[in-house]
Amino acid sequence: MQKLALSFLTATSLAVAGVANAHPSRPLPSAIGYEPKDEDERGLWLQMDEFERNLKQSKLLIRDPELNQYVHSVLCNTVGSDRCNAARIYIIRTPYFNASMAPNGVMMVWSGLLLRMRNEAELASVLGHEFGHFEKQHSLQSFRDIRAKSDAAAWLSLVPGAGMFASFSLLGSALRFNREMEREADLISLDYLAESGYDPMAASNIWEQLRAEMDAQAKARKQRSMKDVGNSLWSTHPSTKERMEYLREAAEEMGSEGKRKGEAEFRAAMQKWWPKLVDDQIKLNDFGSTEFLLGQLASDGWTGRLLFARGELYRARAKKDDMTKAVGFYRQAAAKSDAPAETWRGLGVALMRLGKQADGRAALRKYLQKKPDASDRAMIGLMAREK
Amino acid sequence: MIRLAGIIAATLLFAMPVAAGWKAMPAGKTVAVVDESLSVTPTQSWNRWTRRPSKFGEVWTLDGLALNELTFFAGVPSGKAIYHDRLRRNRPLPKFKSDMLLTDLAELFESSNRIVLQTSLFEIEETQPARLAGHDAVRFSYSYAIQGDELKRKGEAVATIVDGKFYMVNFVAPALHYFDRDIGNVRKLVDTATIPG
Repeated sequence: MQKLALSFLTATSLAVAGVANAHPSRPLPSAIGYEPKDEDERGLWLQMDEFERNLKQSKLLIRDPELNQYVHSVLCNTVGSDRCNAARIYIIRTPYFNASMAPNGVMMVWSGLLLRMRNEAELASVLGHEFGHFEKQHSLQSFRDIRAKSDAAAWLSLVPGAGMFASFSLLGSALRFNREMEREADLISLDYLAESGYDPMAASNIWEQLRAEMDAQAKARKQRSMKDVGNSLWSTHPSTKERMEYLREAAEEMGSEGKRKGEAEFRAAMQKWWPKLVDDQIKLNDFGSTEFLLGQLASDGWTGRLLFARGELYRARAKKDDMTKAVGFYRQAAAKSDAPAETWRGLGVALMRLGKQADGRAALRKYLQKKPDASDRAMIGLMAREK
Repeated sequence: MIRLAGIIAATLLFAMPVAAGWKAMPAGKTVAVVDESLSVTPTQSWNRWTRRPSKFGEVWTLDGLALNELTFFAGVPSGKAIYHDRLRRNRPLPKFKSDMLLTDLAELFESSNRIVLQTSLFEIEETQPARLAGHDAVRFSYSYAIQGDELKRKGEAVATIVDGKFYMVNFVAPALHYFDRDIGNVRKLVDTATIPG
């Protein structure tokens, strides 16, 4: 979860703001037909255009047109349809909380971020934050600050296309936004939410949830929570607590009552992807975070899919009593109409681990009945003593 | 090398740098691997790396790790991860447990690799019953790509549990050309495996 908070910072660091205020007459980068204005900006854009060409080929891209269209439409709802097309959103299959914005309009949203959003207003607040960095050209400002202090050529050599994610991370760490930029992007995002009718409290809620997730992760690992680590005078970013608080205060002033959260729309758009993203999360061996996220996804009730996922999580941890609990979750899942066939596989394996061979085999046979073309048919069939 | 680069980043990060070296493993000669926990007789000449992915593993290659990588894990006791668990504070690896079923071994391997390689593009493709060193085992094929180097890689592993300890022979190579070229010889090598004692 430390990773989660850090990567959010890194990501937003890459993102963008500050200079524009000094030149009120300059067009915003979100204007149609905007071109880089000077050598620094042209250089940054060239690097990022190269990065984008590679990104388009990436196997990590989630290309599902419906999901991409949905996320794009939320950005348009948030910042306005006249400006949103300046950004090109890429959804990346990576199970951590992260979003970023390059100066040429490339916005990356990681799948782990989507997994952690509860409604459309929260997604809108993240997209609005990144877009705020973009419009304020924060990355250009940071680049100039860094260049004033160090060798720009060495810095730029970090950027090129090869090993793009590695270099993107390096770039992120080289290009840190300061507290003022993050705060500015946060407040810009709040304005977008207010103007577009989304609940402005969503922004503060994200930080509140992240902090709760960090606590849950730390508790399961018997560690101290990382939620306030790095929160010092010398920190370059506002702490998660500070952000949560000033965003909440501002949202209270704006008024949150009756504003749109868009929970049903968000759920409908994510429905198809949740099982995959939950599976990615379960395989991270991060019990506390995963249990927290499943609980969050189940706020409207435990579906068969979520109960199955919870069974998988407990079975994978396999500590004292976990296998018995897993059996309980699989059984609850099996009673629901949306339980995937793998529910009976998990149930069978968990029962066999508990020494209940006959019941386990029966569950495995049911799995094979429900999924006759299973890729593990030969192995499971042997374990089930299938004729 | 890319795969190993990931593993090294995760597992050897805090280890003292040691000069990596290679030792030839000639064809037709029975050799002890992982501190004599397992023996195999290669059907072609391999090179053994002096760096190890954990106390319980070792790595061989034919042409370089980027093109083919054969890893052995032998005698991993209950409660231990299969790779060095150096980043256990922030990215702890799942642990092998002696009461696991054979199918659990594939899941253990998948989760360990997703964490070490930091990728979600890792899929187990097919799982079948097999034999390893005279014991019932599981054979599974898989494929993956990682951030920064998106060449598709294919792998096949055979794993088992003997006396409560984990044993595995695992081969990884680029899906294009190299995996198909070498997997036949790897399977022959796997067939020669024995557990001494």
